[in-house]
Amino acid sequence: MLKRFSILFLVVVLMSSSASAFATTVEGLKLPPYKKVKLKNGLTVLLMEQREIPIVSFSFIVKAGSTADPAGKEGVAGLTATLIRKGTKTRTADQLSAELDFIGGQLFAGSDYDYSSGRAEFLKKDLAKGLDLLTDALLNPTFPAEEVSKLLKQSIDGAKSAKDQAGRVIGEYFAAYLYGSHPYGRPSDGDEKSLPNISREDITKFYETYYTPSNTILAVAGDFATAEMEKLLTEKFGVWTDKKAPAINLSAPTAFTGKKLLLVDKPDSTQTYFEIGNIGVARTNADRVYINVINTLFGGRFTSMLNDALRVSSGLTYGARSGFSQRKAAGPFAISTYTRNETTEKAIDLALEILKRLHEKGVSEADLKSAKNYIKGQYPPRIETSDQQAALIAELEFYGLDERDINEYYSRIDAMTQADAERVIKQYFPLDNLVFVLIGKASEIETVARKYAPKFETKSINQPGF
Amino acid sequence: MKPIKSFVLVVALLFSAAVVAEAQQFQIKTHTLKNGMKIVVEEDHSIPNVALYIFYRIGSRNERPGTTGLSHFFEHMMFNGAKKYGPKEFDRVMEAAGGSNNAYTSRDLTVYQDWFPRTALDLIFDLEADRIRDLSFDPKVIESERGVVASERRSSVDASNFGILFEQLYAAAYTAHPYQWPVVGWMVDIENWKLEDLKRHFEMGYSPSNATMVVSGDVSLEEIVKLAEKYIEPITPHDPPAKVTTKEPEQLGERRITVRKFAQLPILMMGYHVPATTDADYYPLQVLQTVLFSGQSSRMYQRLVDKDQIALFVNGGGGMTFDPTLFTISAQPKAGVQPEAVEKAIYEELDKVKATAVTDQELEKAKNILLANFYRQMKTISGKANTLGSYEVFFGDYKKLFTAADDYKKVGKEDLQRVAKKYFTEKNRTVATLIPEKPAAEQKAEK
Repeated sequence: MLKRFSILFLVVVLMSSSASAFATTVEGLKLPPYKKVKLKNGLTVLLMEQREIPIVSFSFIVKAGSTADPAGKEGVAGLTATLIRKGTKTRTADQLSAELDFIGGQLFAGSDYDYSSGRAEFLKKDLAKGLDLLTDALLNPTFPAEEVSKLLKQSIDGAKSAKDQAGRVIGEYFAAYLYGSHPYGRPSDGDEKSLPNISREDITKFYETYYTPSNTILAVAGDFATAEMEKLLTEKFGVWTDKKAPAINLSAPTAFTGKKLLLVDKPDSTQTYFEIGNIGVARTNADRVYINVINTLFGGRFTSMLNDALRVSSGLTYGARSGFSQRKAAGPFAISTYTRNETTEKAIDLALEILKRLHEKGVSEADLKSAKNYIKGQYPPRIETSDQQAALIAELEFYGLDERDINEYYSRIDAMTQADAERVIKQYFPLDNLVFVLIGKASEIETVARKYAPKFETKSINQPGF
Repeated sequence: MKPIKSFVLVVALLFSAAVVAEAQQFQIKTHTLKNGMKIVVEEDHSIPNVALYIFYRIGSRNERPGTTGLSHFFEHMMFNGAKKYGPKEFDRVMEAAGGSNNAYTSRDLTVYQDWFPRTALDLIFDLEADRIRDLSFDPKVIESERGVVASERRSSVDASNFGILFEQLYAAAYTAHPYQWPVVGWMVDIENWKLEDLKRHFEMGYSPSNATMVVSGDVSLEEIVKLAEKYIEPITPHDPPAKVTTKEPEQLGERRITVRKFAQLPILMMGYHVPATTDADYYPLQVLQTVLFSGQSSRMYQRLVDKDQIALFVNGGGGMTFDPTLFTISAQPKAGVQPEAVEKAIYEELDKVKATAVTDQELEKAKNILLANFYRQMKTISGKANTLGSYEVFFGDYKKLFTAADDYKKVGKEDLQRVAKKYFTEKNRTVATLIPEKPAAEQKAEK
C-alpha cells in the first residue's frame, strides 16, 4: 500500500500527545473532566470516565527516561521498560504473554528522553484480569537473566539493522552532533557501543531506583465508574512501597553558534537524507502555541512552505518538513527531507532559501488564518479515544501542565497576532546558526556538503554509534 | 442507469464470542446515486469531525507492462488541479478550512481520504466533485510529479532492503497475473509513461459507478445525500475497467531468488499462494495467521525469537484482495545466524500445524485477538470509514463486517489444519533471501 505521503511526514510535534473525545463544537474544545488522586505511597492517579465504548485504557509514566541512563550504558531505561513484562514474581514471560494475548489485551512499555512510559488496554469485561497483569508487570518484575540476555542480543542486532535505512537513524545522528555531551545527545535506545556494556544489575538498579510510586503517574480513561476504579486502583497499587527517587539533573542545552556539518557515508545510497536545525524549545515554553502555528506554515503540513517548494513545485523529494521536538529541556528543531544524490545541493539550497524567506517575508494574515483553522480542525481526532486521553492527561501531569492546556488551546490560537508571528519567527527559528547532518554517498556529495559550513566532519555509517 | 436505492440499517454488533458483553451500536445507512456511486454513512457525533473516504476499484492489477505504477501516479495527479480548483488549490483550500487529506494505492484499489471539521462538509464535496469531473493534465505538473513519485520509489524501495526484497518476491511468485509488479511501478515505467496513458487511466477507472463513498462522523445521511445529489450525481458514469481475466497458473515447484546488496543483516521472505478474500478459506487463514504470528505468545515468535533466538523478528499474513494473493512470511536472522537456519525453523513450525491440530486454548485466543483488533479498528471515525469501505469493496457488502464475529466463530481446529496442509507446501512457495554484500571499496581491499 503506497500512501500519498507517509505518516512520518504528518507528525507535527507540538501538543505531542493527546487524549479524547471532547470538543462539543469546532470553536470550543473541552477535555472531559478527570479526577486527580494521590495515594498514600505517593502514586499519582488520574481517572477519566468515558463510557462510549466498553474499553479501559491505562497509561503510566515513570519520571526517568534515557537521560537517566548511566554514562556509557545508554539504553538501560528502554531495556528496563521492555523487560517489565518479561517475567514477574509469579509469572514467566511466556505465561504473562499467553494470559495477555488470550484476552486480546495490549500492554506496551518503552522509554523516551524524559520518561519511561507504558500503556495497556483491555475490554471492560476483562478489566480484572488485565489490571492484574499490568500491576504485576509494574510492581513485581524479576528481570530473569535469560530474558535480559535475549533482549540485549536482539537490541544490539536491531541497532545494527536500523542503519540499513538512513531515515530510521538520521534523528540519532542529528541529536548526537547537535547536543554533544548533553543527555539529549546520547542515543535514547542505546547503540552498538553502549548496549554490550549493560548488565542485568544495571537494569534492576534502574528499576529499583526509579520505578517507585511517588515517581510514577498512572492515568486511566474509559468505561468505568470513577469511585469504583479509584477503590480498585488504591487496592492494587496501595501495596507498592515508596522510596524517594533521585532527581534527574538536566541542564538547559545551549544553541550552537555558527555552522557545522556532519556527513555520514552510506555508500549504497541513491538518496541523501538531511536534517538542518539547532536547539529548539521546551514543552512548557510559553510561546508553544504560537510556535506550532508558525511551524505549521513553515513545515508542518502538506501545503507548508517547505513541502510546497521541495515537493509540490519542484519534485525534488517525496516530502519535506520541520518540527520542534518538545521536552523537559529544549528539544531539537529540525528541517528534514531527502532527495536523490544529484539534487542534494539544489534541495539544501532551497531549504535554506525557504528558511530565509520565512525570516524576510514572514507570514500573511491569510496564512495565519489558514494555519489556525487547520490546527483547530485537525485536533479533535487526536483526542478521540480513551487511549489517547489517558496518554494525554499523564503527559500533561508529567510536564506540570493541566487541562487548561487543552481547554484554552483554541482561544490561545485565536489570540495570535501578526506581531506575535514576527516575534516568534525571529526568536525561535534559527537562521545563521545551523547544524547540518547528511547521510548519503560521500563519493558523490562530499564536495557539495563542504560548502555549507566551515566546520566539516565525516564518518562511515559502519562506525559503531552515532 | 441504475435505479435509486436507499435503505437504512441499524446494526447491533453482538460479540457473541466471549469478547464484549455489551452490544455496540452503529448507525449505518446507505444510498446509491443515479450515476451508480454507492454511499455508506455511519453517524457518530462524538467529535465535530468527519472522515470521508472514496474507494475507486482500480489499482496496479488494472495496469499493463510498460505503464506499471500508473494507478499510483494517477493518485498523485488527483491532487494537482482541476477546473474550478487549479494546481495547488485542492490542498490549500482544504487545509485553510481545517481539513487534511491523504490517499493510498494498492494492487486492487485507489482510496482517497479526507479528514475535516463538519463545517467544511460542503467544500469537501465541491473539491471531490471538481477533480472527479474535470481533472486537468498539465504537462509541466506531470513532470514535477514524476520526480516526486521517483523519490517515493527511491525511499520506499531502493533505500529499504525490505522494500527491495518484497518487490522481488512478488515478481518471482507471479508469472502471469498483474500482482507481479510493484504498486509504485518499475523505475523505467515511472520515467516513461505519457500524458495519453494518464488520460486513458482516468477514463477507465474514475467513473462514479466504479467508486464507493464512505462517510463516518458528525453527519446525517440526509445531509450527505443532499450534498452528493448536488455535487456528485450530475457526473456521468461510463464503463468500468475491463475485467482482469488473467489467472495465475498453479505453481508447480518451489522458486528461490536471492538479492545481494549492501546490508548489515540478511532478510528472509517467503510467499505461499492463497485464494482471494471472498474464498471460504479466508477466515481459517486469518485465524491461522493469528495463531502463528500474533503476540509474543504466538508460535513463530515463541520459536524463532524467544526459544531459538535466531531471528530479530518474524511476521506473516495476507491482506484483503480481489484476486488470489500471497501469504507472506518475513524474518530477519540475527547477526551470525544463517538464513537457512531461520528458514528451517519456519518450515518446522508450519509442519507442526499441519501434523497436529492447534489446541483449543490457542484457537480461542486467536479468535479473541481478532475480535479485540476488530474492535480497536472501530474506535475512531477514520478507522470506521476504512473498515466499512474495505468490507464493502472486498466482500461486496459492508454488512459482512458485522457477521465477521460469527464467521470466525465457525472456524474449527480442523479447518486450520486443512488450510495449512493445502497451502503451506513446498511446491506452492517462493523463497527470497537478501544476502549482505560489503561495499565495493571494502571488497577490493580484501582482494
